[in-house]
Amino acid sequence: MIELIDQINPLGGVIALFFVVSLISILWWMLHPPDYIPAAAAKARHSVFAIKKILVPTVGLPYAERGVELACRLGSEQGAEILLTYVVEVPRTMPLGIPLPDAEQEGNEALERACSIVKLHGLPSQKILQRARLAGEEIARIARDRDVDLIILGIRSEPGLRDAILGRTSDIILRHSPCEVLIDKLPKGAQE
Amino acid sequence: MASEVRAPSAALPGTPVELRRDVSIWGSFTWGYADVGADVYVALGLVMGAAHGATPLAFAAAGFVYILIGFAYTELASAYPVAGGGQYYTTRGLGDIWGLIAGAALLLDYTICISLFATASAGYINFFFPAIREFAIDIGPFQGINLIWAAESLFLIVLLMILNIRGIRESSLFNSLIGGLDMVLETIIIVFGFLFAWKPEMVVFQFKTEFPSTEQFFYAVSVAIISYVGLESVSQAAQETRRPATIIPRTSVSLICVVLLFAMAFPILALGVLPWQALAERESDPVAVLASAIPYVGFLAGHAAAVLGATIVLISANTGVMGASRLSYSMSESHLLSPWFSAVHPKFRTPVRAVVFFSVVAAAQVIFSFLTGPHAMDTMVNMYAFGATLAYFLSFIALIALRIKDPYTPRPYRMPFNIKFKGIYIPILGIVGAFATLAMMGVVLWTHALGRVAGPGWVLLWLAVYLWYRWKNRHPLFSNIPRDWEKEQIAILTSAEEFDLLEQYKHALAERNKKEAKHASQ
Repeated sequence: MIELIDQINPLGGVIALFFVVSLISILWWMLHPPDYIPAAAAKARHSVFAIKKILVPTVGLPYAERGVELACRLGSEQGAEILLTYVVEVPRTMPLGIPLPDAEQEGNEALERACSIVKLHGLPSQKILQRARLAGEEIARIARDRDVDLIILGIRSEPGLRDAILGRTSDIILRHSPCEVLIDKLPKGAQE
Repeated sequence: MASEVRAPSAALPGTPVELRRDVSIWGSFTWGYADVGADVYVALGLVMGAAHGATPLAFAAAGFVYILIGFAYTELASAYPVAGGGQYYTTRGLGDIWGLIAGAALLLDYTICISLFATASAGYINFFFPAIREFAIDIGPFQGINLIWAAESLFLIVLLMILNIRGIRESSLFNSLIGGLDMVLETIIIVFGFLFAWKPEMVVFQFKTEFPSTEQFFYAVSVAIISYVGLESVSQAAQETRRPATIIPRTSVSLICVVLLFAMAFPILALGVLPWQALAERESDPVAVLASAIPYVGFLAGHAAAVLGATIVLISANTGVMGASRLSYSMSESHLLSPWFSAVHPKFRTPVRAVVFFSVVAAAQVIFSFLTGPHAMDTMVNMYAFGATLAYFLSFIALIALRIKDPYTPRPYRMPFNIKFKGIYIPILGIVGAFATLAMMGVVLWTHALGRVAGPGWVLLWLAVYLWYRWKNRHPLFSNIPRDWEKEQIAILTSAEEFDLLEQYKHALAERNKKEAKHASQ
């Protein structure tokens, strides 16, 4: 055995080893292709992949910002654009153009925070601050005008009215939205 | 776009019988390996005779072009997983007449592949029967004809013909077994050779003192490239491969790497074990000579290499039968050849007429080459190089054209190094490959006397057949038959069960349509 080892040319040994290891590695890689994707799975996968514009309404609260994070994760693979929207609701008793500096400042701050989340994911984003009588109607209109593919709405765990499951804004968006809507409702008692 | 021609591979209503998807991942790999693996048994001695001490360099130069070709074929075969290979890509990218030219060049290669390797296989069998090897008679003006060897070659062609009529599963199984066995035995020769017989100083000495002339070197490079039709075979089997768009990039990339490993290992080993003259003198069985010089395995090497040589070149011939029949099937479906070629056997689902026709052509080549006397195999090799380089050149041009004309088809594999220009990825390596294969074709025409006459002659013959067929059927002679390529692509991906790519393609088209509608409304 020692005699055999003595006969081995060191450089030849290295080449032989390189040859065998390379051959085995190549064949192993070749024989392990990705799994088969059935038609239904492919359809589902690519219907999500086709989402290129996501609208996220925010109110500056943690549950809404969680919606922004969810939108970024859903859109990251296909590099979707995130439209961040804050709607200042103006009561019907006041003119729509009335100065509301505090509300607008609050809106801008909420949009800035949401934008910082999107930046972390490296996705393109737009900030939209609007006034409207009903936030839900305005969000549905923006979705229609801007050709949005998906609205992601983070909502609080307990809406204001006892009998309503989702709350007024969510309900209007669900009824009037022209695109897919995803509602993220946190469980009762979750930190808001 | 009008839809007048049905998809070659599609499961469309009215399609009577289709090719069967029976080729597994290992089967797909061994289709290619069978073709390229045989190169060592036939080309090593020939290349050594021309390139002398620079043989590894000649294989490396051919290998560089081969890598580029490999990348291009991997992209094209995974994007368009149909039978036809280079011919289909050229038809789709450049038009009908160029598709016919590429197809004719490849048909030349496949038929020579059958005749050359069947002859070589019989030659290796005759290693055990020296009396047959030495047998020669004169028939009229023809001198020194080995009738028994010729009969053996014809018998092998008939055997392969029956095998291919029976079905691709049977022939693929045959390839898989022999291909696997061959790889194991070649590995043993290489490992034992490098461990116990190889002397690096001998390689350096021969490289320094035995360098060939420029013309000899280029001739050697052109002979070394002939073996790389193996990749074409992988794409020919695409229509019968399960999940081709997933499997073919893997098998092609693996084939490129494995073949390069063997193609580089054998000449480096050979020059470190024996003087180049020893191998050049034995053009018919260089591997057996090399193996017999290796300690511990050498005593078995002569017989083992002969058996192995006989089988591997036989499966290479088998690849030729398969390639020629699938290619003519595809050409016929694309209305480049008469529909007579696309008839599929109702029971075995194989293109039976094409198999028989090209087997007969190969048999005629064998008879003709044996009538020329002892240099019959040289004659075949000369024509082989022309067909391969012409088809590869056209495939590179088609790849560039398809990137521009058809950016929506998903490409599971893309050639590396691209520049994005106006939304289109321009393949830099594709452009380099086009120039490299064009240069290689120039070398073939310069160095192969018969190749520059017989090669173009064969292509012109098929061009005449094409024009006659198109004229008879009132198809356009020099322009294209209108086709709905998008519908065809959907049918191809559906038939291949590549649903992920199908959805990707549909979304890309939907997005394009949306953009066009928006643009029109503005």
